[in-house]
Amino acid sequence: MSDARYEDWQLLDLSPGADLSEVNRALHFRRALYQPGALATYNLLEEDERLRMLDRIDEAYRRIIGNEPPPSRGPQPVPAPTEAKTEPPTGPRPDPRTEPGALLRYHRCAKGLTLEHLAIETKIRTVLLEQIESEMIDELPAAVFVRGHVLQYARALGLNDPNELAARYLAKVKLD
Amino acid sequence: MVWITTSWLLRGSTSIEYIPTRQERITRMIEEVQTSIPTGPKIWAIGGGKGGVGKSVVTTNLAAAIARSGARVAVVDADLGGANLHTMVGVPSPKRNLSDFIARRVSTLAEIMTPTPIDNLWLISGAKALLETANPNYGQKGKILNHIAKLDVDHVFLDLGAGTAFNVLDFFLVARKGILIVVPEATSVENAYFFIKAAYFRKLKRAQPRAQVKAAIDEVMKSEARRLVRTPRDLMAQVMAIDAEAGAALMEEASTFSPSVIINRVERSEQTRLGAEMGSACRDYFGIQLRCLGTLPFDNLVRRSVDERRPAVDLFPQSTFASAIRNTAGCFVDAPAEALG
Repeated sequence: MSDARYEDWQLLDLSPGADLSEVNRALHFRRALYQPGALATYNLLEEDERLRMLDRIDEAYRRIIGNEPPPSRGPQPVPAPTEAKTEPPTGPRPDPRTEPGALLRYHRCAKGLTLEHLAIETKIRTVLLEQIESEMIDELPAAVFVRGHVLQYARALGLNDPNELAARYLAKVKLD
Repeated sequence: MVWITTSWLLRGSTSIEYIPTRQERITRMIEEVQTSIPTGPKIWAIGGGKGGVGKSVVTTNLAAAIARSGARVAVVDADLGGANLHTMVGVPSPKRNLSDFIARRVSTLAEIMTPTPIDNLWLISGAKALLETANPNYGQKGKILNHIAKLDVDHVFLDLGAGTAFNVLDFFLVARKGILIVVPEATSVENAYFFIKAAYFRKLKRAQPRAQVKAAIDEVMKSEARRLVRTPRDLMAQVMAIDAEAGAALMEEASTFSPSVIINRVERSEQTRLGAEMGSACRDYFGIQLRCLGTLPFDNLVRRSVDERRPAVDLFPQSTFASAIRNTAGCFVDAPAEALG
């Protein structure tokens, strides 16, 4: 391990002499921190500073592992969205009799709401909301709870007849 | 451009004799109280630049978890802008609060310490304090802190208000540990960095006897208020270049500033790294250590516990949130989480 200076190890937050897998992990962590849109550096630095930091990280890495160029940064990953976006629904409105779950998703997307949004509104976990939308019948709790959840969900979306939809959903759950 | 002005200011700084202001004398007094009474309570301050990130929820739950393990704990509602800690610990309307103390209707803080439904947990309420004392002056603040340090409990948690008002910063800085609550949202992260920077500058400025250096710090703070870059690290380098002695003093003061962070309402796995990432970013850009004490999951039961006016660790001890709180509380009492069950 060749020209590495103490500052290089410090920059990667490693003790001098850390093994290659640790060095690679550190490189990954430090690079991720300075990707565009990274939450932990939100509004902390200007674009040129961000790029300079990435260069410094790569240089430190190169000196540590002995002048080999660092692995390619690869295609710049899509920045993690700080707020999940909801695309408007595509395709026709699902039939409440055959696809009650898909209908819920359709209305949610039409309103541009995220599952997290509705989780706060309905106090139902996002995972469960997702399962309801996807009609993952095996994963759902007992029918009596499902009815309540669908009712709450439909109400939160402001649908016309939550009771009707809940009844249809339940009919489908029982059928399966 | 800024630096041209400040370096000019700094140049003539060597021969001025320094006379401490009243505010600084009180500060010294408070700091002496903190360091000279090793048997006094450990004081923890919970802040966070942003409202609605769960400061009060985290404060009450940490305090309740430690109280349940047998230590005596007081929570102080120092949120002089919107006190409601009393509701969260199930004390609907505290008879006495901080305004009684400030108005000298009682002579010690112990007299306004209200028992809560949880054993070993007491409340010092700030309810209504705002109306009478919108902004306690430095002397009143010093008196409150001085008395807090004399409370006959093992731990004191100060629930600070949102924002970066001097009140909040001073309580934050005087505690054994200042803790920021952050949620994985851009606005919360941004506010946390702003808070850290503001607290850091306030600390440096308070410790800095020379008016010229103070003025320089002010200048930097003003000109860069909208941007977070050009941070304390740069300030230090600049002061060092102009006046090595002042620079060294600043460096020493800076090394004692190590705020902590607790990440609240984590929903996705990649968000669990936020604490470590913010620590890394702080080291790079502020040149300070930001330690992450814990990561708390989003849990619907927390909201229900607030509705029930009981801490989640008490009402839903089996919840994922309660278990994460017990893990985090280990950092405060040097005990493993199992001891806090």
